[in-house]
Parts: sequence; structure tokens; C-alpha cells
Amino acid sequence: MNLAIKDIRFNLARFALTALGIGFLLMGAIGAIGLYRGIVADALLVIDHIGADLWVVQGERVGPFAEGSSISSTMDRRVEGVEGIASVRRFVQFSQQFSFAGKVRRATITGLDYPRDDGAWFELKAGRHLEASHFEAIADDSVGLPLGATIRLAKDDYRIVGLTHGLVDSAGDGLLFVSINDATAIASRRPSEQVLLARETSGNAAPQGDGASPSSVPQDSKIAAVLVGLAPGADVARIKAAILAWGDTNVLSSAEQRDLLLNQRLWRLRLQILAFASVLLLVTAIVISLIIYTLTMEKLHQIALLKLLGARNSAIVAMILQQAGLIGLFGFGLAMLLSHLTFPNFPRRIVMLPQDLGIFFAILCVICLVASWFGIAQALKVRAQEVLS
Amino acid sequence: MTGAPLLSVRNAARHYQSGETVVRALDGASLEAHAGELIGIMGPSGSGKSTLLLICGLLEPPSAGEIYIRDRLVSYPGADLDKLRGFRRDHIGFVFQKANLIPFLTATENVSIALEIADVEARAARGYATQLLGALDLGHRIDNRPSRLSGGEQQRVAVARALANDPPLILADEPTAALDSVRGRQVMELFRRIAVERSACVMVVTHDPRSLDLFDRVIELSDGRILSEPSQPVQAHP
Ligand SMILES: Nc1ncnc2c1ncn2[C@@H]1O[C@H](COP(=O)(O)OP(=O)(O)OP(=O)(O)O)[C@@H](O)[C@H]1O
Ligand SMILES: [Mg+2]
Repeated sequence: MNLAIKDIRFNLARFALTALGIGFLLMGAIGAIGLYRGIVADALLVIDHIGADLWVVQGERVGPFAEGSSISSTMDRRVEGVEGIASVRRFVQFSQQFSFAGKVRRATITGLDYPRDDGAWFELKAGRHLEASHFEAIADDSVGLPLGATIRLAKDDYRIVGLTHGLVDSAGDGLLFVSINDATAIASRRPSEQVLLARETSGNAAPQGDGASPSSVPQDSKIAAVLVGLAPGADVARIKAAILAWGDTNVLSSAEQRDLLLNQRLWRLRLQILAFASVLLLVTAIVISLIIYTLTMEKLHQIALLKLLGARNSAIVAMILQQAGLIGLFGFGLAMLLSHLTFPNFPRRIVMLPQDLGIFFAILCVICLVASWFGIAQALKVRAQEVLS
Repeated sequence: MTGAPLLSVRNAARHYQSGETVVRALDGASLEAHAGELIGIMGPSGSGKSTLLLICGLLEPPSAGEIYIRDRLVSYPGADLDKLRGFRRDHIGFVFQKANLIPFLTATENVSIALEIADVEARAARGYATQLLGALDLGHRIDNRPSRLSGGEQQRVAVARALANDPPLILADEPTAALDSVRGRQVMELFRRIAVERSACVMVVTHDPRSLDLFDRVIELSDGRILSEPSQPVQAHP
């Protein structure tokens, strides 16, 4: 007869609540780690998928993610001339608010260098990639735009021709892809009053300034970076040196971009989330230990009785371990279930890596073992005659 | 009674240190008990009845003296009684004032657990437990949990549990104290039957003089000493 299971079945509601409580706690810890993983994954989405070997950015800056970067929109031609470079694409990215269906939406507008880049490097969940150099957009579903919708950005209407899923920037805003020319046009949007004022002060100067015009949008007819694809066998060091020698540009590898993003820009956030996750794990560990320990303590009378009946220590240890194990197992199972049910509905990506879950499971096992060990130590100390007290 | 005694207590004492003073719970008691005997242990509160039972039951070692079961020295000052758990399981059954049933087990399971602990195969244990409960007029209660049983029924389940491994020695400490007189009498008569039918030695601590007629003899304790042993003549029982 399995005493652990008999006891659980007798106190089923209580067992279920305990497992549920542990499940929620674990879910919190899994969520915190998953949020951390999600932030990192989101941040690296574009860098990892856009397929650039080098990023040519504004001189003396480490843009466009860790710092601002603004270079001439014709820089790609200059870069293309460097030996060993197979492909160049222009890149720009900035936050934009607009209204759709009466609600304010946020998106991170990302310029695709159409026709060199129609967005084939990311997967679509619906619709198609860009097929025209103007007024087409591909939106992430998190922006909340349906396929075929028309939105107004700056002075033009854009039609949503494709939808992606899970393509966001490091702040979690959904990406909205348009052609790079459209993107620079949207970025250089200025109220007409500002244009008039600018004309007046500079005495009939051209409305499209040469960079010296006062504007709240720093990318004014500029782009953020040129993405470089290297030819096979190209000498990276020489190419970098050549581009750096121009003086007005800086050049970064994808690895450097990753490092800048994770270890500079997102450093505090990562640390913060990790700290929270640790606290949650600690709380979970303490609570689970306490639950298992008190469960055993409650049984001391019955354990004394079992000893009186002549039960071996191994039978008593097995009962305690089985019960702890079952609670841990069910708690973990519920945590898995709850996580998979709820996290997809969270506003930010929660990444549950199998190895993270494995580590959680291992930690849980250790917690259960340690807590049981304390309980077992008490149980083995209890004397048979304590049945009488 | 003839033959070697089942239980032999020789000059057993049990002293408890209570602050500065020493409590002599048991102060040099000797007795012999034989198979088939139903022995009553009586005496005023604090006279050492429970202590005597704990020492006979190998739950506490004596401070002085020895305990023999079937001529084997089993307990003495400083004995490691936890090592005797297996021996206790095979030789001694306990019944206390409270039935101490495991709340999440049915009546049958509460009995068969004692058998399973003694490595009896689960199905056989169940069968024998059911049979035992039937013999104690609990056949209709076998699948009930303790909370559904009356006090007397619970106590009879506890008796069945004590009998499960067929121990030659059964020790009961005020088993009827929590029962009304009718049920108390039933339990005492049960012990009588067990002593006769299983030729077990049953030692019962009781305050109830109404069961005196059932005992083969009564051991009277006072201040940790046995007063009246051997005193009462052995009565004849069917
Ligand atoms: N663990 C202990 N520590 C200290 N003193 C104890 C202990 N156990 C028993 N005593 C003392 O030993 C004496 C005998 O106790 P015991 O329990 O054997 O009496 P009893 O005859 O069973 O009494 P009652 O009829 O009230 O159950 C009492 O004075 C009691 O206070
Ligand atoms: Mg007593």
C-alpha cells in the first residue's frame, strides 16, 4: 500500500491547492527568466536575421542600436566601391506613433532597401513581401493592423500587404517595414508651420535642409546605417580599415552590434530581470521547502505510529520522499501548463528554453530533496512512544 | 501456568530526572507473564502503570533491571531499542487509550498496514485484515475511514491492528477509558477471547474495576512498586 498516494487522495483538495500554489510560484520564476530570454531574443532579432556582416554607421558613434546614427542616404554607393564587398543595403529604424481605428498605435518603422531588399529575410504569417517601392507596408501583428488595412503615416497612405509574427524591437514595439525611401520621408515629416518658419528665418532656403536645419527628427533625409554583405574570402580587417579611414564613418561587425546591445544598452534591464528572477527563485525555493517540511512535521504522529508498528526507516523515508516528489512533480506540471496557457498572451515575448526548464526542474528536485531531508531527519528522530503524546 | 514465561521483568526501575528531583516512575518491579494470560494492571494515577507497559513493550529501556522475552534478554539500561523495531513488530501488539488510526486509511487498510510493514504481500494482508475485522464484528465497516467509525469501532480496529502479526504479547494502556461501559466491556471481553483463542499474553492497564472478573490476575502498582504479585489465584476460564 502506498501511504503517500493514499494520503494525497484523502486530502486531494489540499494537495491540489498546494501543487497549484507551487505551480504559480514556479510559473513566476519561469516567467521572469523567460522575460529575460525574450528581451534578449527580441533585441537580437533584427541583428541576427537581417544578414549583414558589417554595419557602416555614423563616425565616432556605435549606432544605430546603442547610439543614434545618421549618415547620408547615399553612403551605400561609397561603401559599395570598397573591394571585397558583395552587397550593400541601407537601413533606418525609428519609433512612430499613428492612429488607426480611432486608437493610437506604436510601431518601429524599419526601412527596407527595396528592391535590393523586399524583406525576404523574415517570415510572413500572411500576405506578401514588398512589391513596390512606395506606399506598401509589412506590419508585425503586435501593432494590431489587419492585412489590407490602410494607415496614414506623415503625408501618405500605406497599405498593409504582409503580416509578420513576433518581429519587435528591443523595447517590444512591433516592426513596420516600408521601403527605405518611404521611411526617410516619414522620418522627415514636419508640420507645415515649421517649414514656413524655417523658410522665413533662412530667407527662402530649400525646405529639405542640408542637415543644419532645425528639426526634432535627427534622421532628416538621412539613413542610420549601411548593411554590408562580404564577398567570400574577403579581408574583413582591410575593409574595416578602409571604411574607417574615411573619417566620417564607423564600421561594426554583427558580433559587435550584439555585444553593444546586450552589454551596453540593455545591461541594466538584463541585470534587473535576472535579479528579479533570482529573488523569485529564492522565494519559490523557501516556500516549497517550507511546504514539504511542514507536511512532514504534520505527519510525525503517524510516523511515530508506523515506528510503533515496526516500520523500517526506509519505508518512512520513502513515504516522505514520494510525497515531496509528487508535490514537486505536480507543481512543475501545473507550472508548465499555466506557463504555456498564459505566457503567449503576455505583451512581451516569454521564451521558455528547454534547457532553462530543465534547470528549473533540477532545482525543484534539489529543493524537494533538501526539504525532505530536513523532514526525514525529524522523522527519524521521532520515537515510537510519541504516539502516546 | 507452567513452562517458561513469555515475558519476564526482573527488578526493573525507571527514573526520570525532573529538574532537581528524581521521579521514580518504576522502582524495582519484577513480574512474569505467560502465554494465554490476561493480566490486569491497576493502581492509582502516577503509580507507574504506563511506565511499566512502555518498558515491557520495549519502547523505553529501564534505568535498572532487565526484560526478557522468551528467555532472550531484550531490554536493559542503555539498550538501543530502535534496533528492536523488527522484533517488536513480531512479538508485541499495542493498544492505547486513543485508537491512533491513520485517518486517510480505511479500517482494513489500517490493519493491513501492520501486515505489510511485516512484509506480508498486499493482497494477502488485505484478506487477513478483512478476516480479522470480521472476527471483531467489524465486517460491515471494513471500507470506512476512522472518521466514520464510532469510538468503540475505532478501538476494535486498533485491537485488530495489534493482532495482525499474531504477536504473543499484547499490551494495552487504558484501552477502554474513552469508551462507555458497554463498549468498554466488549473490548475487555475481546482481550479475554484473544488470550484464550490465540494463547497470547495480554496485559491491560485499566482503572475500571468492573472488568476485574475477566482477568486471570491483577498486578497492583503503587509508587512504582508492585504490591500484590503474586496475589490473586488464577481463575478458570472457558
Ligand atoms: N517522561 C517522563 N518524564 C518525567 N516524569 C515522568 C515521565 N513519564 C512519567 N513520569 C512520571 O512517572 C510517574 C509514573 O507515570 P506513569 O505514566 O507511569 O503513571 P500511570 O500509572 O500510568 O498514571 P495514569 O494512571 O495517570 O496514567 C508519574 O509521576 C509521572 O509524572
Ligand atoms: Mg498511564
